[in-house]
Amino acid sequence: MTRKKRYLRIVHVLFAALLLIQLIPDRLNTETYAQYVVWFALIAEALTLIVSSVIKKPLSLTLFVDVVSCIYGLLIAWTLATAKFNLLKAALFPPPGRVFMQLIEDHEKIVVNILSSVGIILQGYLLAAAAAIILGMLLGSSERLGNVATYIAKFLGAIPPIVYIPYGIALLPTFHSVSVFVIFLATFWPVLAGTMSGVMNVDKKTLDSARVLNVNRFTMLFSVILPASLPQIFIGYNQGLTVSFVLLTSAEMIGAQSGLGYYIKNYSDFGDYTRTLVGLIVIGVVIVVISFAFNKIQQYLLRWKR
Amino acid sequence: MSKIEINNLTVDYTEKKNSFTALKNVSFSIEEGEFVSVIGSSGCGKSTLLSILEGIRFPTSGEILIDGEPIKGPGADRGVVFQHYSLFPWMSARKNVAFGIKQVNKNATKAQRLQIADAFLEKVGLKDFKDQYPSRLSGGMQQRVAIARALAMDTDILLMDEPFGAIDAKNRTVLQELLLDLWEGEGTGARKTVVFVTHDLDEAIFLSDKIVMMTAHPGQVYQEIKVPFERPRSRMQLVRTKEYNQFRNQLIALFYSDIVNKIGKEEVVL
Repeated sequence: MTRKKRYLRIVHVLFAALLLIQLIPDRLNTETYAQYVVWFALIAEALTLIVSSVIKKPLSLTLFVDVVSCIYGLLIAWTLATAKFNLLKAALFPPPGRVFMQLIEDHEKIVVNILSSVGIILQGYLLAAAAAIILGMLLGSSERLGNVATYIAKFLGAIPPIVYIPYGIALLPTFHSVSVFVIFLATFWPVLAGTMSGVMNVDKKTLDSARVLNVNRFTMLFSVILPASLPQIFIGYNQGLTVSFVLLTSAEMIGAQSGLGYYIKNYSDFGDYTRTLVGLIVIGVVIVVISFAFNKIQQYLLRWKR
Repeated sequence: MSKIEINNLTVDYTEKKNSFTALKNVSFSIEEGEFVSVIGSSGCGKSTLLSILEGIRFPTSGEILIDGEPIKGPGADRGVVFQHYSLFPWMSARKNVAFGIKQVNKNATKAQRLQIADAFLEKVGLKDFKDQYPSRLSGGMQQRVAIARALAMDTDILLMDEPFGAIDAKNRTVLQELLLDLWEGEGTGARKTVVFVTHDLDEAIFLSDKIVMMTAHPGQVYQEIKVPFERPRSRMQLVRTKEYNQFRNQLIALFYSDIVNKIGKEEVVL
């Protein structure tokens, strides 16, 4: 890439625009905390410049820069509509600076809530991921067992896991255990179905190749059938992960005393929409980060595929 | 005693009430260190025969003896190369070869296995591709890896089921020469016994000591022909000789006389 292609981009114009509009006098009666927006923009711009100088693929750079441009654009529109021209109802739409300020002020509370939510998801998810893969491989090894188990997994997997919550509350002692239980169910069925489907549909050529090598049962199961099934297993993992977030945040809004869903529900009940927005943004970021990490793991484990 | 003795082998298939005979009373033997091609049109049961030798299928009656012992299943004495490249897609080229070595040689350490794998990949000309996954390799390259794996396993017997059938003509001749170089290179006493299934007559003549010609419906041995040419063979020199062309014409006549017999009764697919 030439220097021009690297650094001469619209995103920097938007950055300048975002800073310049801060010079327009505020039309809100309350404090708008514009300095937080400026700090955010400066950090984002520094990050953009660093990424611009190190990234190798032109397409990845364009994608990154376009995402940052969208964020700048949104902030410009948001700032103008709230702080600068007061077009929206101030109680429902706080200016961005206030949201950033609140985010920083609440950061300890937010970290605690993130840990609570992510902890529950990890427990339920990992437990289900491990249990389903082991059971799926056992059941999938027998065609007859595999077929009947596939039907059962499809039936039980079709029940939206959220409806287990009331039953879970009756069965289990704490909200924490109910959440883990529901996330376990949400992940267990799709991973079980994916594993069995993978194990039962391993290419016959692959199996023959292994059989003529005279491999023992253990090697066949763990060095041949398991890796051959991995793409299908990951379909189940993906599905489980997506549903887990929806479930947990919904569950937290119903009955929790901690977690990101609880944070949002609690503050919106008190009419504190600044913190509601903070919660929304944090949930978005957390999910994006976890999905990104998960995708990287998946890409690494399936790197042998085209 | 021959290395491999095939005695009265019969295989019946039953598929949804229809049963047909894939092999009927097939008998022939293969000497130690002999390169034998089994040739015939589709449906003559040559691949069925090989899968019984591989130990992944069993005959309805008759038996195959290896060193006097009947086949009980896949064994560490036989290496196999399929037409489909039979590599494990999640393993790099050298891991595929090393995995094969591990199955026959439990004592070798991981480092030793990888060292042997690298040596054989170099022999088949894939030194620079050893860390690639099969999906990144062409069909010809994948088949080279499969050959490297079969040779690296150092089995007494090599079973090859139309190994070059899916490879373009130019690469096919290259691979035939490579296979012959590696096999002949082992010296008369140490050569592996090879059973090579093909439907390509020129390939069979160029490679083999003996050609077993089969006919279809039901699969039976039609002719056993010794290939009279000296080793090591050079394709360029061989194809120029009068003897080669006479021999080839003779085989073509035999090959087609069988098919002419069949035409009129049913469709024959070459």
